Parts: sequence; C-alpha cells; structure tokens
Amino acid sequence: MLQRYRIRWTKVGRTRFISARDLTSVWERALRRADLPIAYSEGFTPHPKVSFPDALPVGVRSTGEYAELTFAAPIEPASDLAALSATLPAGMDITTYLEVPDGAPKLAKMLRVTLWELAWPPVDLTELRELLATRAEELLASTSVEVIRHRPDGDRTIDVRPAVLALAASTRPGTPTRDAHTVLRAVLRNDGPTVRPTDLHAALAPDEVAAPAAVTRCVQGTEVPGGVADALDGEVEPLVPDVDAEAA
Amino acid sequence: MLGSAPPSLGPTTPPRGQRAPFRRPGSAATAPPSCWGALEPLLPQVRKPAQYVGGEHNQRSTPWEAAETRWLLCYPDTYEVGQPNQGIQILYELLNDRPTALAERAYAPWVDLEELLRAEGLPTFSLETHRPLWAFDVFGVTLPHELGHTNLLNLLDLGGVAHRSAQRGADDPLVLVGGHAAFNPEPLAPFVDAAVMGDGEEVTLEIDDVVRRHKAEREPGGSLASAPDDEVRHALLRALAAVEGVYVPAFYAPRYSDDGRLTRTVPTEGGIPALVPKRTVQDLEQWAYPRKQLVPMTETVHERFSVEIFRGCTRGCRFCQAGMITRPVRERRPETVQRLVEEGVADTGFNEVGLLSLSSADHSAIAPIARELADTYEGTTTSLSLPSTRVDAFNVTLSNELARNGRRTGLTFAPEAGSERLRAVINKMVSEADLLRTAEVAFSEGWRHIKLYFMVGLPTETDEDVAAIAELAIEVYAVARRHGRANKVTISVGGFVPKPHTPFQWAAQDPPEEIRRKLTLIRHAIKDHRGITLRTNDPEEGVIEGLLSRGDRRVAAVVERAWQLGARFDGWHEMPTLELWRRALAETGVDLAWYSYRERDQREALPWDHLDSGLDSDWLWEDWQDAQSDQQLDDCRWSACYDCGVCPGLSLEHDTGYTGGYSLPVLPQGLGSSAAGDGALPTAPERYAGGG
Repeated sequence: MLQRYRIRWTKVGRTRFISARDLTSVWERALRRADLPIAYSEGFTPHPKVSFPDALPVGVRSTGEYAELTFAAPIEPASDLAALSATLPAGMDITTYLEVPDGAPKLAKMLRVTLWELAWPPVDLTELRELLATRAEELLASTSVEVIRHRPDGDRTIDVRPAVLALAASTRPGTPTRDAHTVLRAVLRNDGPTVRPTDLHAALAPDEVAAPAAVTRCVQGTEVPGGVADALDGEVEPLVPDVDAEAA
Repeated sequence: MLGSAPPSLGPTTPPRGQRAPFRRPGSAATAPPSCWGALEPLLPQVRKPAQYVGGEHNQRSTPWEAAETRWLLCYPDTYEVGQPNQGIQILYELLNDRPTALAERAYAPWVDLEELLRAEGLPTFSLETHRPLWAFDVFGVTLPHELGHTNLLNLLDLGGVAHRSAQRGADDPLVLVGGHAAFNPEPLAPFVDAAVMGDGEEVTLEIDDVVRRHKAEREPGGSLASAPDDEVRHALLRALAAVEGVYVPAFYAPRYSDDGRLTRTVPTEGGIPALVPKRTVQDLEQWAYPRKQLVPMTETVHERFSVEIFRGCTRGCRFCQAGMITRPVRERRPETVQRLVEEGVADTGFNEVGLLSLSSADHSAIAPIARELADTYEGTTTSLSLPSTRVDAFNVTLSNELARNGRRTGLTFAPEAGSERLRAVINKMVSEADLLRTAEVAFSEGWRHIKLYFMVGLPTETDEDVAAIAELAIEVYAVARRHGRANKVTISVGGFVPKPHTPFQWAAQDPPEEIRRKLTLIRHAIKDHRGITLRTNDPEEGVIEGLLSRGDRRVAAVVERAWQLGARFDGWHEMPTLELWRRALAETGVDLAWYSYRERDQREALPWDHLDSGLDSDWLWEDWQDAQSDQQLDDCRWSACYDCGVCPGLSLEHDTGYTGGYSLPVLPQGLGSSAAGDGALPTAPERYAGGG
C-alpha cells in the first residue's frame, strides 16, 4: 500500500550550497538513516521516490522548499518525519507535512506563486528602501520591463513584468542578534517563463543598488491579499515582513 | 552603490610572534576566529561551493578550549578526491575520541577559491569550524602519492605558515606527513618537520602524547616556560624523533660522492636512530575504524561505506609499492567485517559497501564474508563491491555473489603485462590460459564488459612484450564476441613508474617519448577491432611522479621552485604543470634523466635507505636479480617463507591472518590466482583517490 506525503522543508545555512544534483543522495541517505520505507522506482538502478517540483539555484536560502515522498508501507508521519528531519543535515528541516489523498492535484499545480525575499546589509536604510519602493511602483505601472540575462551560452532578453504580481520594499528592524536592514519581497508567478530574483534586481536598480547579500525563497502556494498562502497548510506569509511574528 | 556590504569583516592573520595565545592548551587558549563569515560571501563565485562548507553527517567539532592538542588532518587535493580517504577518517575518529584532543580536516581549495582567499587575506581553513591552519598544533598530511607535494607547500603558505621547516618556530604548527609517499620524504625534507612511517593508528596517539606533554611544559611553571624559541622547537623535534616510526629530516644529512651519487644519509645529532623503522599494527581487530564514517553532501570519488578487510599483501608483485611496504598480511575477522558493515550502513545511509584491501579476493574467508553480506542485503537497494583485480574464475564467482542485487556489467582484471615472460619478470602469476578461461566464465555468466589493466615501460620489456598486450586483448575480445555482439573489452594502459622499497627501485624509468611510442604500437595493433577500447594516460604524467618518487633531498629545490612558479594539482589533467616543472628543473640545475631514466647499481645508496620498510635490502636486490632472469616467487601465505625480512620481531600468530576454521578459497596453484589491484593505473579520479 503506497502512501504519499507532501512536505515543506527548509534549505538554509551551509546546506544552501548543496546543488540540486547532490540533493537526491542527501535525501536518500537521510531516509535510509531514519529507516523509513521509501518506495523505489523499478528498473536496474532504482531511485527513491522523492520528487522535487523545481530546483533552487545554488546559494539561495529557502524556507519554502517542497517535496513529495512515496512510501512503500505506512508510516507514523508525526514521529517518522520528525526523525527524518532530525537526521537531515543541519539547515534542512521538515516544517509541514500533509498526506496526499488519491486524485489530489499535482504538487506543482498547487505551487502557483512564490514569495521571494531579497535582503541587503544594514546600510543606507532609508535611501535604499525609498529607491526600491519608487522603482517597484514604476515597474508595477509598466506593461513590459525587459532585462538581459547573461549566460555562458549567450545573452537572453526576458520580460520580467508578466511574472510580477506584487512588490514591496521595507525595513526589517534590528534585533539583539541582527541589525536593521532593507528587504524587498516579491510575489512571482510560477507559470510562464521563469523569472529569478537576479532578474528582478536587474529590472529595478542594477546600477544604483548592489546585488542583494541574501536571497530567500520564503514560501510557495497561492496569492492572497497581502501575501502568499502556503500550499500545504494555508498559513499566510505577508508581503511586508511581520516583525512581531518573526520575533515570536 | 546603495546596499553594498561593508568591507570584509574577515579575521586577520596575526603576525608570527602573536599567535601563542591561540595555541595554549585547554581553557587557557583564546579561540581563533572562524573564517566562515568572510568565506560565505565568496562561495557563490566558485565552482562546487558545497565542498567548502562542512556539515557532513558524523562530522565532529570540539570547542577549541576543550582540547589540549589540536590537529588539522589534511588530504592535499580537492575535497572530492580526499574526503573518502580511509587513513584520514581513521585518525580523525581516533583523535576525536580522545578527551584531550580535537581533530578537524582540510582539503586543498581549487584555484578559483584560492585566488579569492589570497585577495581577501583569508587562510587555509578547517572544514568543520573554518578555523585557520596557523592556529593548530599539528598539520597532519597524508601523501597517498607524490602529486600532492606542491599542494602541501601551497596550503602551508596560504595558511600563514612558513613552508620551510627551518623558518618555523615554537608557535607554528608541526608539519607531519604520512602515507605511502612518505616512505621517501626526501624531496620534502626541508618542508616537513617529520614523516611518519607505516600504520598510523598507534603512532599518531603517541605523537599526540608527545605534543600534549610538550605544551604542558611550556605553560607557567613548566621546564620550557621561559626557554627561547629555537630551544623549544628543538626540544619538540627531539621528543618526536624518539617516537618509533617518526623520521625528523632535520636531524639527518645526506653524503654524496664526487660524481653526485648518494653514499649514505646519516644522523647529525647524538641519540638519533640511524635507521627509522616503520610502524606495524599487529592486530587489526583492535583497531576497528573508521566506524562513524563521514557522509558527504556533495559528490566525491567514492561514495560508499568502506571496510578494510585486511591490510598488507604478499603476492609480491615487484612493481607494487603498496604491496611491499604494508607487509605482513593482517586480516579482519569475518564477523567483525559483517558487524562493521551492518552498523555502518545503518548509521551512514550509504547504499554501497566497499570491501577494501590490496587484493580483496585473497582474504582467507572471503567466500563466507561475501555470502553473508549478500544474504543480508539481498532484495534491498544496498549494493556490494569488491575492488579486486585478481584474474581467476573464483573472482567471477565472488562478483556474481556480490552483484545479486544489480546488473552484471563490468569486471576488471589486472594482468599488468602482455607476455608470459614479462609477467614472470614482474611476478604477476597469471597465464594466458587463466585469463582466457576467466573471460570465458565471465561472459558466459552474463557479464558484458571486461576491463584489463596493463603497464608499459616495465623492466626488460621488448616491443614483443608490448605487442602481446594487444594480442591478449584481441583474444579476450574474441571470447567476448562469442557470447554477445555487444560485449566489450577495454584495455587501460599506464606508464610504469619505479617506486622506492620495491625490487624495481633500481630500474630505469621509460621517458615519455618511449611510453608514447609503445602506446602507439598497441593502438596500431588493435585498430581493426572496434569492440576494444584503449584507455591511456598522458605519458607526460609519469614524469613528475617519477622524479618525486625516487628523488633525493636535492630535488626539494625543484619542488619549491615549481610551486613558486605556480604548480599545484599536479595530478589533474586540467592543470598542465609539466612546463613549470621543466622550468624549475632548468633553474635549479637538477637533471631529470639522471634521477629517472638511469638504472642504479647495488653500491649506490638510495635516498630512503635509512627508512626501514621492514624489507631486507639484500632480499630486494636478489628479487631484482630474479626478476631480470624471469624467476617467479610464490606468495608466502601459501608457500614457504623466503625471508623478505618483515616478520621477525612481530607476533607471528597474526602473520598469516585469521585461521578460525575457514579453508583458503584460492584455486590450486597453476590454475590461476593472482593480482593485487594496487599498482593498476586507471583514470585520474580513481588513480588519485588513493587511500583504498
């Protein structure tokens, strides 16, 4: 009896440098260590049935990764997935799970939009937020914003505008462990041509603003007023960071 | 630009003279700053950044202040190549299991990261906590081969440590080397503080004791508390030289005759041993390590749980340094192997198990070991592998057993030489009939691909011997075709490099032009046989290896100069450093041909004569003479002792391994039993992974 679970997981800290290619074996080994009955594909070189909807660029943080795990035998999800989470490398944690009923839509279909966060170091707080806010308004008012993406196999022009649903620049106040800094959050559509956070930086202020020091894929799911609702549990991540919630 | 990061907050390297506070034992120490904060922003700019982040399952990290001695263990190549090394993992676990010690690991940063580190003023760092090399007490480097020598110098320099031993003082790390290439450390003599000979388990702990006691004496009230810097360093080196198996090059001087030949290497101080013996762990059962193997988060050359099933080899292949310097054979018990594998697979999550040794099919209980493991993992996704290149049908049977879960794809055998005569010269006892029968069995049982390893440039080799490689390949391919049109044969041919402590240590190496000519003979002879693939290495690759293998202390100037000219990663195709080495040779006036392409005679001293691998030098010479008259020598596991010199002084019940009731699974003599996969020269990653 196959049992499918969808999970949301994080990829932060050192693990943000693990490539998509290496992730498969990282998950397989963790599943084996946790001794969970993951199902395997048929054939001469069986692969564990762990599927990821899309790849995260190397170096990008994420609190909004998803995966679908198929088990060959029933598991105790609360304790078994906690054990799996514990044996994954530090920085990779399972934060939500959901058993998948038969006939459920594909996971990728549930991940309609992504909330991205670009963050800058604790400098130029007011000036940077105001510039980004102005540029964000201009972008949202345009019908087309083309940027050139430089790639080893040649430059490519892409239109950023159709993917952008919402944009907001804000200042995240300081805490005892972290200085105040500027963040830009964006809701991007997942269908259509892929637009990456680097494209967004290029579209907004490539010459006046340094590349963001950190980029995070916060959550994926559906757009709701003021943010994005997680595909699995519906929890809303706001477009403007909720400082009180983060502190808690 | 708005939002630019403030200038790097990377830790600065304190000048020498201000490092003592970081190096004091235990809680008296100031923890050195981590480089992580400054390194992290650089990583998006480099290839394969995951190799620098650490965070592997089973990684250990002890607080700096909780340890009295602190080791940085290093494999002087990339993480991808060095991470699986068993030697490092054994010592890592042993040292970290000591309450008074901590050990972290370092690998060589690839050239892209090195450039950024130098630009930012960041040092060689540890993988676990990204602490700088200069703060550690011991920099322990394994040298599985000679092509990491320039990386070693580079890592020291990048790590804020003088690359010359004489320029290091009381507050610099001790630079130790071990591993197979440390059996001739003379080309590194000015750079290393000590070379450790032989098995590392016991001697490393003894060295750790020496360092801990030495550090205690430097604390207030200790006998060295107010001693001058050079006296402190001298005291430490003297204490090290008193440990059996530890060679301190600074206490020895080479003597040369007028024509430049070495006459002997002699101690320069009283109380220093004239001959440094290698260390031998007598009972592997007492050292069942590594248990908690490190699981990489990014690709490496061997991703599996490895268990060393025995150490040493007495097959006596005359080209094989590993087989000569690791004698005698010491086996692990089958039940210990089974336990290590079961615990290790569950603990690490690896889906492959490797049973390692120099010739794994030779374990006296290999059949039951393989059967038990195959039973345990039948029907699971755990696969078993046995890197053995023994040429016989038993090897095929074993491989069948181990491949129960998977496809029968490729089998590898190492006849090493093409003609019967030359196989007698190198003491590789395989007949052509054995090989063809083995191929017949393999292809008829469903294997699709046979790989054969050979060498050219062997002593006494003629063009007929070279042509015989192609002829043998063609015959094996004829067998392959009979069992399936898609079956394949690959021959991998490397150039032979003579190594110290082997009967071929006196032999002349073939220059690269000669190797190239011989490879062309083979290529020409097989060109009409499309199903045979010929794989070769660039003949130039053996040049640096040959020079460093048998070089003396005068060759150190070439190593230093080549490194200064930019040589590093000498084993990598991507890094063509030979031109830099040729320039270094020219500038230092060292004659490559004299070192590599000349046959030596018995009267000439060898640069490693004062380092005792256990082999009697007269026996080595006799075996060299036997080789030249095509005389073979049996494996002493199954025939009478021939006095190679290793066993006297050791506890003899371990010499022939475990005899707890299993019969020897070898075939009757003459029906074909041979091998030792160690000397094989396959692809670059396989070749430089080392440490098997």
